[in-house]
Amino acid sequence: MTARTYKTIAYVLLTVASLITVVPLLYTVSLSLQTEKEMLSAESVLWPETPQWGNYSTLFEEAPFGSFILNSLVVAGAIALSHLIFDPLVGYVFAKFDFPFKNTLFVAILATLMIPLFVRMIPLYVMMSDLGWLDSYQGLIVPFLMDGFGIFLMRQFIQPIPDDLIHAARVDGANEFTIYWRIILPQCKPALAVLGLFTFVFQWNEFLWPLVVTTSERMRTIPVGLTQFSQEQFQLWHLTAAGSVIMFVPTALLLIFSQRYFVRGIALTGLK
Amino acid sequence: MELPKRTKRTKRSPIARRQARTAYVFLAPALVFFAIFFYYPIADILNTSMLTGQRTDEFAGFDNYTNAFEDPQARNAFTVTLQFAVATTVGAIVLGMGLAVLINQKLRGSLAFKLALLVPYLTSIAVVGLMWRNILDPELGILNRILSDLGLPTQEWLNTHPVATIVAVTLWMTTGYTMILFLAGLQGIPDVYYEAAKVDGANGWQRFRRITVPLLTPTTLFVSVMAVITGLQAFGQAYIITRGGPGEASDLFVFHVFELAFRARNFGYASALSVLLLLVIVAFTLVQLRIGRDREVQH
Amino acid sequence: MSARPAINGQWMTRRRMLGVAGGAAAALPLAACGSGAPEAESGGGGGGGTFLAYWNNAHEYEAYKDVVAQFEKDHGVTVELQKFQWEDLRTKLVSDFQSGNVPDVVEEPGSWVQEFALSKDALSLQKYLDKDGAKIGFPDDWLEVAVSDNTHEGQVYGIQMHYTCTLLFYNRKMLDDAGIEPPATWDDFLDAARGLTSGDVNGTVLNDGLSYSYPWMLQNGVHEYDADSGELLQPRAAAMEAMQFQRDLVHEHKVSPKPTTSLDVTRAAKFFAAERTAMILTGPWDIPIIKQSNPDLDYGIAPALTGKRQSTIAGGTTLFIPAQAKRPDLSWDFIKRITALKTETAATEESSMLMPRKSWAKEPAVQENPDVKPFTEGLPYAEEFRTGIYTTGKAGELEDIYKTLYESMLIEGAGAEEAFAAYDDAAKNILKG
Repeated sequence: MTARTYKTIAYVLLTVASLITVVPLLYTVSLSLQTEKEMLSAESVLWPETPQWGNYSTLFEEAPFGSFILNSLVVAGAIALSHLIFDPLVGYVFAKFDFPFKNTLFVAILATLMIPLFVRMIPLYVMMSDLGWLDSYQGLIVPFLMDGFGIFLMRQFIQPIPDDLIHAARVDGANEFTIYWRIILPQCKPALAVLGLFTFVFQWNEFLWPLVVTTSERMRTIPVGLTQFSQEQFQLWHLTAAGSVIMFVPTALLLIFSQRYFVRGIALTGLK
Repeated sequence: MELPKRTKRTKRSPIARRQARTAYVFLAPALVFFAIFFYYPIADILNTSMLTGQRTDEFAGFDNYTNAFEDPQARNAFTVTLQFAVATTVGAIVLGMGLAVLINQKLRGSLAFKLALLVPYLTSIAVVGLMWRNILDPELGILNRILSDLGLPTQEWLNTHPVATIVAVTLWMTTGYTMILFLAGLQGIPDVYYEAAKVDGANGWQRFRRITVPLLTPTTLFVSVMAVITGLQAFGQAYIITRGGPGEASDLFVFHVFELAFRARNFGYASALSVLLLLVIVAFTLVQLRIGRDREVQH
Repeated sequence: MSARPAINGQWMTRRRMLGVAGGAAAALPLAACGSGAPEAESGGGGGGGTFLAYWNNAHEYEAYKDVVAQFEKDHGVTVELQKFQWEDLRTKLVSDFQSGNVPDVVEEPGSWVQEFALSKDALSLQKYLDKDGAKIGFPDDWLEVAVSDNTHEGQVYGIQMHYTCTLLFYNRKMLDDAGIEPPATWDDFLDAARGLTSGDVNGTVLNDGLSYSYPWMLQNGVHEYDADSGELLQPRAAAMEAMQFQRDLVHEHKVSPKPTTSLDVTRAAKFFAAERTAMILTGPWDIPIIKQSNPDLDYGIAPALTGKRQSTIAGGTTLFIPAQAKRPDLSWDFIKRITALKTETAATEESSMLMPRKSWAKEPAVQENPDVKPFTEGLPYAEEFRTGIYTTGKAGELEDIYKTLYESMLIEGAGAEEAFAAYDDAAKNILKG
């Protein structure tokens, strides 16, 4: 097989794969532009006769959709920021320090990935209630300030950084935090881009906790707010789809913005 | 200083002691955080798993645990989930690696392919689950509309192959992410290996088998560990797309536990099942890490 | 991070059949309510503060907004109507009960209040009813099932707010063209469905969701639970026959497409509106879909079918007060206002929603509405299928295995012997614990 035919095959397969990932999402766009009648038709409509751009403004008229967006931005943004501050620090300690109970502690932190959120939800909810944090940003944000995945990721990334760099700095009399801040963190930029993006995306899409911890409409995030575009027995697909499209925009922008770091970021994690 | 016994003792040298102190200072916020928001709730779950009743106010000892082993529904849910996790893990590795190898040809437009393939990973299972439900519905879905317009046979996969369908939707969502990981791994393999193999007369497939696959082992290990953890905890697929049906055919374990907790309000039993799941996941992870380490050593 | 399942609950519950004759547009938000106050604690003493009510998305009628405004004025509180889909409400409410942090009043989908009475999470309304009952016409003005469904050990725990049932919807033109009368018995129904099935048209479309099997069971004299013997799905032969009859409509006679596990239960109404089926068995909640999708469709609403007897499923929402609510007197006043005859009638005028009061059925707004009137004749013989099952404390688990039974027969086409045997096995395991 020549390199040329190989490339042709690669193009064909990748094009097919890309169509499979993108085309179904376009159907959501189609739904978001349909009339209620088209949406309720027994003959599914592939593309609306007249695109109903008004569905998008309906979202803002019939619900405080603007405040849903703001809440989601604040919550996902604050959590992503916190991960960017704490995960690399903890990852650094596990990658480069020797101390008693190191392995035990690391496994203990990894184990936090293995239990579904809803199982912890009731004790957390009681805690939020005792603290008076229900229906507040603190309640939405604080329980998610760190997690095992981010720490694991950062540890994998920091491990291949040569120890000599750290030793040299110690010999020069730099204090430990300066070493972390000046030597380690600058090397981590690509991984931080990855960490920031994924943390933001996951929190942006989170549903269960915001549902439970909020008690007023104005504290709801987009995924919870979207559920009200429904009747008792059926979903108002056209409005839900419009909301989903809006919800997709910030994550897509973030991806485009961070993609330069993206592949490199994960490449350097070493994954060993 | 040369005394052999000192080797153990060096750990307690002033430098080591200072290092340990620094480590704990840096770790302190995280340890406090995890203690409050993870270990305390988990301890609470262990406690709840010994209780029963709708208000979890009756002591049950280990009854919840012994019941779990006799419960045909729990057993079915576990089997279904195991199939799901194995299929999504194998699929993630095969598709992710395959696409990464294709895209690694320094093709023009590879950035566009990367972004296109990664897009579904940015959405939530809630949104795309509902979307697939709408697309695949046997009577009212757009897919069958298109198939019948084209004169092709229509499908009812959600009725006939529910597990395969949610596996496919999951892979649709996550393959781009897996591909990016493998792509990163591929870029870490030095070209000299391939050049040497070419000199030895190895063809493309042989180079893939002998160089690419073994040298990707760390990536494969990472992907499979995370895929198994995610697969065994999959929930939204059943919650949104199939409701565990038809019958119990796609009753994913975590969905089953969720229903027990919030619909049946049997928090004691749900907690016990969660603890058992945690043990299973830990076991799987340790086994995978062991296999992965052996593989890495071999190469 | 990727280990965390992201979930959502954007679906419609199929579990209970509830009235949703509400306007076909999106739920109207009570946008003005609840703004301002930075703290939304549900507590806060008698006067002032926020009064928190959990409500269904679709039930935010103008008629209620007026009541809410007056209530706010009279008590100096801000009412926060927190809207949910049923399944999400369940998750939120159960979390609230476990933590002791509860709302002031809850609209529930009709099957929860007895369960919460048993678990001591709902407040008995008996002392309020002893005082105010006569004034508001309780229980005499309420249909009997609407009272007994909300009663636990002789005490009333909830006031029925909406009350609905399923009947037979038929396409007049299709039946006239085929020379077929609206069927009254199972045999008639099967014959009609056969006669009306041709090409692209299905004689009937069985609605998605296990609750649509309940009327068939009731018509064959079957309830899910027999409190005296503690046995399930009795008489058994009749239960098997009823499930087999539905299965055969789909798999044997092929007069209906298979139901699905879908969360969105609009299939039957969509087929009906598109004139791709002649008959569906459903409630008033499907009317907005039909009207929106095919405004000119000429349809009739006939009484429920008769098997061994005539029956249909009763459903609807109930208001109750959580046991730990901090201002139960205030909550009770809210319930009284929302369930007043005047409010009910106004809500019906606006939305065609059905109500549990006997005097409501005589109102002109009800009698003159062709989409509502047939239901006033069905409601008196409507029944509850799951009566008493809450006393087992295992209602949720038992519903789950009933769902499996229903889906294995209707979707997968399993035979009754095999499916009921699997049901019994699972039930034994659930009830022993």
